[in-house]
Amino acid sequence: MAAVAVKYPAFKELGTEVLTLSVDSIDSHKGWREKELSQMVRGGALFPMLSDPEGRIGALYGVYDSERGVDQRGRFLIDPMGVIQSIEIVSDPVGRDIAEALRQLRALQHHQATGDYMPCGWEPGKPTLTKDQSRSGEIWKEWKTRHAF
Amino acid sequence: MSVKVGKKAPEFTADALDRGEVRKLSLADYRGRWVMLFFYPADFSMV
Repeated sequence: MAAVAVKYPAFKELGTEVLTLSVDSIDSHKGWREKELSQMVRGGALFPMLSDPEGRIGALYGVYDSERGVDQRGRFLIDPMGVIQSIEIVSDPVGRDIAEALRQLRALQHHQATGDYMPCGWEPGKPTLTKDQSRSGEIWKEWKTRHAF
Repeated sequence: MSVKVGKKAPEFTADALDRGEVRKLSLADYRGRWVMLFFYPADFSMV
């Protein structure tokens, strides 16, 4: 969550609220925020940290691991209508990529604003496609593989 | 309840630590805004 805390201003600039959840208690969140997160990020966590005892919310989202009694590392991007637009779930040993979460958020917002389609590896400033182009069989005319990286 | 892209996100209410203050918070409070939910296994761990 330290990486999320560092990038929190970017989420706010995109009009997006960050909510984090684990099965830990509020007291545990307090201790972690004060003792560790604040060591890694100036100001610590500025987003709400939710307590999900017994993984009730995690189970609703399909990320609660009942054997270990924890919520798995899951990310759900929800649009202003309350509809899920992106899901990522990663197994325990691997951390996530916050830049990718932000990229998807920017792409989804760009789509909702313009109707454009954002091909593989899109970042602001790279080519977009119209809906027709996105399924025309002639994407190669607009988009090169180097745009993916 | 099935969680899928393109479907409504399940509603929930929970206790939250928000900048040092404890309060109840619902997903519905954020309707009209984008929300990024991050689940993680445990405080004081690599997350």
